[in-house]
Amino acid sequence: METPYDIGNIPGPKMARVVTPEEFVKQFKKAKKPLLIVGSEISQEELRKRVEKLIDLGITTVATGGSIRYFVEDGYDEKVEVAVLHELTNMLLDENWKGFDGEGNYDFVIFLGITYYLASQMLSALKNFAPHIKTASIERYYHPNADISFKNQFKDEKFFQMVDEIIDKIGEE
Amino acid sequence: MKTKFNIEKFESQGISLKNLEIFIGEVIEEEDWEPMGPYPFPSATDLRDWDFKILKRYKPFYAPYDDTCSLCTLGKCDLTGNKKGACGIDLKATQGRIVLLACVVGTSAHVAHARHLYHDIVKRYGKDLPIDLGSEIEVEAPLTRLITGIRPKTVGDFEPVLEYIEEQLVQMADALHTGQEGSYLDFESKALHVGMLDSLGKEVADILQIVAFNFPKGDSDVHLVEMGIGTMSPERPTILVIGHNVPPALDIADYLIENGLEDKVDIAGICCTSLDITRYYPNAKIVAALSHQIKAIRSGLADVIVVDEQCIRADILEQARRVRAPLIATMDKALHGLKDRTNDDVDKIVEDLVSGKVDGVAILDSEKIGEVAVKVALKVHESRKDVKSLPSDEELKELVNKCIHCNRCTLACPQNLKISEANRIAKTGDLSKLRELYESCISCLRCEQVCPVNIPINDVIMKAAMPLIRNEKGKVRAGRGPIKDTEIRNVGAPIVLGTIPGIIAAIGCDNNPRGAKDVWLLVKEFLDRRFIVTVSGCAAINLGLYKDEDGETLYEKYPGEFDAGGLVNVGSCVANAHIHGAAIKVASIFARRKLRGNYDEIADYILNRVGACGVAWGAYSQKAASIATGFNRLGVPAVVGPHGVKYRRAYLGRRDREEDWTLYNARDGSEVRVEPAPEHLLVAAETIEEAIPLVAKLCMRPNDTPQGRQIKLTHYLDLSMKYLKKYPEDWYLFVRNEADLPLARKEELLKRLEDDYGWKIDWKTKRILEGPIRKVDPSFDPTNLERLIRK
Ligand code: SF4
Ligand code: SF4
Ligand code: SF4
Repeated sequence: METPYDIGNIPGPKMARVVTPEEFVKQFKKAKKPLLIVGSEISQEELRKRVEKLIDLGITTVATGGSIRYFVEDGYDEKVEVAVLHELTNMLLDENWKGFDGEGNYDFVIFLGITYYLASQMLSALKNFAPHIKTASIERYYHPNADISFKNQFKDEKFFQMVDEIIDKIGEE
Repeated sequence: MKTKFNIEKFESQGISLKNLEIFIGEVIEEEDWEPMGPYPFPSATDLRDWDFKILKRYKPFYAPYDDTCSLCTLGKCDLTGNKKGACGIDLKATQGRIVLLACVVGTSAHVAHARHLYHDIVKRYGKDLPIDLGSEIEVEAPLTRLITGIRPKTVGDFEPVLEYIEEQLVQMADALHTGQEGSYLDFESKALHVGMLDSLGKEVADILQIVAFNFPKGDSDVHLVEMGIGTMSPERPTILVIGHNVPPALDIADYLIENGLEDKVDIAGICCTSLDITRYYPNAKIVAALSHQIKAIRSGLADVIVVDEQCIRADILEQARRVRAPLIATMDKALHGLKDRTNDDVDKIVEDLVSGKVDGVAILDSEKIGEVAVKVALKVHESRKDVKSLPSDEELKELVNKCIHCNRCTLACPQNLKISEANRIAKTGDLSKLRELYESCISCLRCEQVCPVNIPINDVIMKAAMPLIRNEKGKVRAGRGPIKDTEIRNVGAPIVLGTIPGIIAAIGCDNNPRGAKDVWLLVKEFLDRRFIVTVSGCAAINLGLYKDEDGETLYEKYPGEFDAGGLVNVGSCVANAHIHGAAIKVASIFARRKLRGNYDEIADYILNRVGACGVAWGAYSQKAASIATGFNRLGVPAVVGPHGVKYRRAYLGRRDREEDWTLYNARDGSEVRVEPAPEHLLVAAETIEEAIPLVAKLCMRPNDTPQGRQIKLTHYLDLSMKYLKKYPEDWYLFVRNEADLPLARKEELLKRLEDDYGWKIDWKTKRILEGPIRKVDPSFDPTNLERLIRK
């Protein structure tokens, strides 16, 4: 079993299954309406550039208030939604929420670049109270509260390789 | 037991009585300062309707920190996915239960503190000590008046107030037992009730210490105090006081004064005790907030450590031993295994501590503490000069070279600090990355326990940051206590009309995600925009650490008045009650609403009219949970930092749910759909850049005049542009007509309303024809309460 990135953060019997980029993409492709949520850690340019590639692949993406400014600077602000993560998670909990496009809630929510402990709690809310949503962490952290998660990755190089693999595989379509 | 008889009409032998009330069993001194409202000494159910009203709009949002429950032997129960445990409780209600538990614990800390002060003060000065806060403060105890209906004249008048809180607290603790409450909403209503009791307990505690120890009584130009680890002197004996309950520290100060030792021995403090001792003894220094507790101890500069209560490290004895500083515990709540030497001879205790025969003692008589602490400090100071606390330069090199980059420290670190990476760079001789960690490191020591090669990581970071630590010297304006009635008279109208755009209360602990500078940035931003900013506790302390481009702290730069652009340090955590008090006084003094036993009306007034917002960026304790919940019941929203989501519960509104945003017009009972203001009662932000515009938004109220709304909306838009580089996507919801729009951007915004939101604009007159949720109606008297409707 992988160690939660915050070692004491063991929520209970249901903990995320560790996946490879390939397995993640398989799950992603099964989703009808995925949503990518990105947080303040995309201030790191190497990560942000990769997120922008995912945006270019047409994945609906939401930036938290801690990250939107960077997308504005990169000219990507029209392509992303903005939300306070707490508010957004609250909306996601409501099966009848209309979503950003007015056409309904999402069924597969992906976390990337979000402050670890904040993301962990939001994933917990979704795990416990949003049976209509599957969650995935493609963070450099193992997130036990997600349904599927990458394992901890301390080396940037390796982590970026994994994200690149996702971009390539989704792009193959 | 008291019995009440009502006689509506009585006529006999020429005597005629009407509406006579007779109480048997207890003499009630009926005062006529104000007629009694419906809820004096409210029970949990008295205000349940009010709670349910706010909980309907601000629904509890739960993020469990643990999906199981192990509170009784029927468990451990797996509640994942909102399953029920063996007792029938589901995960949602369990979260409400944990929130209530946190509030009960937090409130108990404040109330037990108040009770301790009460006993201490009655013993010293008697029950008849008057409650006199000076000629400019007539409404001396707004929460006490509001909640109990009592107008306290002497210290003894707080006795029934404390009894009431204690009784209610036991009732609420009882609800936590397995097989009691089962509804999450009722757990929340109880938590709100306890939050209210917390605010009341804090008021009692602070007023008691103000009148007994002659603390400042609302003076805006109260003295400045030295602060920072850099102010601790290696040359003079230093007594470090840690905690929240000031009498032991006062005794040390008295002993120094009585014996002419003020220049010979320093008192330095951590946490609220430091804020309170400097309200009494300006020579004392504030070392730092809670996250610096270990840093201050490991600096080795404290010769004696005196702890009272709350937020003391549980391993304080071990930490004190490490730097050979004798420890004195002074409160029954936190004895740390030390022998009670209260009844021993002072010289014998001193001898045992100085010789090292014992590492520490407990002394529960505050009058003996001063003498022991000072005598020990004077005697051990010289012999402690060889105490080596932090590694030398050479040792630092060796230590970082030992790192095997296993990352166990990062997995243990609550701040997720990348220590291994910093060590890797330090191995090349560059300490900059280690130094960068200093600001975010809360010195919790979790990392040190797991390092396989025993690197004292906290000390390594401190050593690398020595150039910063030496310069940690600043100024804090001492806690001034209450807000004066005269100040409220000046600002009441501008606050309610919205032309003073808000009262920001930056309060609470310093479990900040990336250091305290973020709070400084937020406070400075709102001061520059002429909000009123009130601060207390660790947040107030940390502001003193940073200087602006002119080399001044915010306390030196901004006036201490409760007025636009004023920075008001009310004092320690218990002094927070004066911030509630100010909001209540706006309702009572400015708007002439009746206070007495009238909680829901005043909370309703504040929620709809007083643009106040709390910011507890580094909230960590159970007390912070009860404080925030107490603000929420009174109608004041709060924003917490990202660690705040670990409290498990937020109160989040949904601006997209139209049905949640209706109010009554008290004039005629009609229902009016309003803008989502304030949108949340408790919400977390990820970064301070996200928090700043959010706080500005949460200062909007349905009652804002067009001029007030225009000012508030200007700040919301400006701050969004400044920190997010983008307009917020909900700004248009707050526009009721063209007069609400910021003047400088009027045309641009009208165009956006037309293009992006489909509003109809008459471009000739530049007026909005169609679009807003509602129009401005100067006769609108917003309320959530049916009982206030005047048909
Ligand atoms: S209190 Fe209820 S949920 Fe908790 S352990 Fe006992 S039976 Fe299980
Ligand atoms: S002491 Fe500092 S570095 Fe170590 S775990 Fe705590 S916060 Fe992290
Ligand atoms: S735990 Fe110790 S050895 Fe491992 S990375 Fe951290 S400092 Fe280095």
